[in-house]
Amino acid sequence: MLPAQFDGLMPVVIFMALAVLLFLGGHFLSVLLAPKKPSELKSTPYECGEQPVGSAWSMFNVRFYVVGLIFIIFDVESVLMFPVASIFKELNEMGQGGYALIIFLSFISVLIEGIAYCWRKGDLDWVKSFQHSLKKETK
Amino acid sequence: MNQTVVSYLAQYEFFDFLVAIFKNNQSLLSFLIYLIFALLIVGMCATIGGLGTYAERKISADIQARIGPNRVGPYGLLQFLADGVKMIIKEDIMPATADKMLFYLAPLLCLTGVFATLAVLPFAGGFIMTDLNVGIFYLVAISSLVGVGVFLGGYASNSKWSMLGGMRGASQIISYEIPVTISILAITLLAGGMGFGTIVSNQGGLPHQWFMFHNPFAFLATFVYFVGALAETNRAPFDLPEAESELVSGYHTEYTGMRFGFFALAEYIEVFVVCGVATALFLGGYNIPGLDIDILPLQAIQFTIFMTKTLLLYYVVIWIRWTFPRLRVDQLMSICWKYLTPIAIFNLVGCAIWMVAFNGKSIAELVFGSH
Amino acid sequence: MFLQFLFISSAILTLACTVAVLVTKNLMHSCVFLLGTLVGMAGLYATLGADFVAVTQIMVYMGGVVILMLFAVMLTGGKDFVSRAQNLLGLPASMGNKWTYSMGIFVGVVFILTNVKLLSSIIKTTPTKTIGNDFPSTVTQLGHLLVKDHVLAFEISSVLLLGALVGAAIIARPRKQN
Repeated sequence: MLPAQFDGLMPVVIFMALAVLLFLGGHFLSVLLAPKKPSELKSTPYECGEQPVGSAWSMFNVRFYVVGLIFIIFDVESVLMFPVASIFKELNEMGQGGYALIIFLSFISVLIEGIAYCWRKGDLDWVKSFQHSLKKETK
Repeated sequence: MNQTVVSYLAQYEFFDFLVAIFKNNQSLLSFLIYLIFALLIVGMCATIGGLGTYAERKISADIQARIGPNRVGPYGLLQFLADGVKMIIKEDIMPATADKMLFYLAPLLCLTGVFATLAVLPFAGGFIMTDLNVGIFYLVAISSLVGVGVFLGGYASNSKWSMLGGMRGASQIISYEIPVTISILAITLLAGGMGFGTIVSNQGGLPHQWFMFHNPFAFLATFVYFVGALAETNRAPFDLPEAESELVSGYHTEYTGMRFGFFALAEYIEVFVVCGVATALFLGGYNIPGLDIDILPLQAIQFTIFMTKTLLLYYVVIWIRWTFPRLRVDQLMSICWKYLTPIAIFNLVGCAIWMVAFNGKSIAELVFGSH
Repeated sequence: MFLQFLFISSAILTLACTVAVLVTKNLMHSCVFLLGTLVGMAGLYATLGADFVAVTQIMVYMGGVVILMLFAVMLTGGKDFVSRAQNLLGLPASMGNKWTYSMGIFVGVVFILTNVKLLSSIIKTTPTKTIGNDFPSTVTQLGHLLVKDHVLAFEISSVLLLGALVGAAIIARPRKQN
């Protein structure tokens, strides 16, 4: 007999709750047992013994942002491909494998075009400015 | 309907007895069963994570011709407990300039992201917490919380080393998610589903029935997945976010005591999860050679098989860490975007064409004619 | 029972985090609260039985968009948002003056009224089917729809994504310093 009301999502929530409980429990133990002798020197950020100059929150290079942008596009593409991939075998057994293959490949080919474009234009290079200046010098 | 531990146990007669005890309050009963199994799995994984730190030190000592930890317990086996106690009784220091809320939140995000993946890991037939229809997709998605946690850990410390480590870590994790996801897509294509139950039951116990040896493209995809997974867990040779010789200790430089412990625990459990996923996707999972039934005594053997494969991969991960030198950041990014991603797409296309051309048969089936 | 718990906790998480996004003045904190909002949304989708959409929400928004936002904040240095000019509500002046706020309230009231009018007719017909006890897979249905009925949309979405990729690459490309 199957239980009338069980839910497959319950373990997900339980595991997340366990993570939170473990975190809080660890903190509680730490508060109980750990010594607390704050000093000004302890609460400075570690910089190998030097006095830290300024805040660490400075402007970062745009390359991280570019990686994030390209990642999102690929992420959405893979999300769209997942349902089609999971019925691919079923379609193949129904004799529609060729049709599914054409649809799948034409979708992927656009993805390949995208990565080829980014590669060609140098958006996938991490050290951009350096390589650009090198190319200029050789010209 | 997706299979869970509860729906598996419901096959047996003693379940009706339990239902009678709980006066038909079945949601409470299933909650209790889930909770017991969840506590078991978390306890087991925490122990494996702890023993992982011990194994790491012992194996590295072996590779470098040292002795390694040997004082606490027999062969130093209880070293991880001593480390845990030490972390609890260490003073909890937070930089004065830190972002306090995010400093607390970052290890929690890492821990939650890793623990949530345990819900779909297939330990044995029936002994899978919940076999979601979107299993592997869910696992990939929820583990991206770790990336946010790493970034916030680096940001909140307001230390230059941490900030650099956090930025590197987040960009590395999201970059390597692409080849990993596309390799998983190839396996989804072969198995015809995303649930772990479907994926494992489409393989067999013997190596020629594994998806790794299904076709040449899947064989390549195995390695793409493994390299990408190594990078996603920030393991050497991809340990740039916590490169100890350049960034002190990366995103957790400012973390002490318990919170550092949570970062370390999350990392070691994540390595275990990644190895478990590789086992389930490519190495035949828990299948016993020649048998495919999930009855109660046989599950002990299935569990042993799964753990053996996973822990062997765990050993390989540690072995790789102490063998290869660290990459440079630009090498890291070019390996991901210029090597792994194109190879992964090639594998996906190859698997799709193979499925249609050979009607879904593996190499072994083509050569020997039958299973 | 469990579904009600999931719905209520997700709804509280979503609402609380949304309010926190609006109220907090620290840009980084509001990004993190947005993460909570998006996770809560995923929980709401899951209660509706849309497992694939829920996981997509987590994958794309939590793993992608939030990290992109964090990177975008780091482009500016990630310091606390110090607003010099403030309007009546204590919000930064760039968020609008009294005219924009009064227009916003007007539009909001009209929107809510029309929604209540529309929803009241829907609520009368309560759904008889309860979702969640028997959790059917939406993935295969989605796949069949994408391959058969909506194949053109599926293919064109890839072209759209290509456009987005090229556009993103061009915008983010460093200009030549001449």
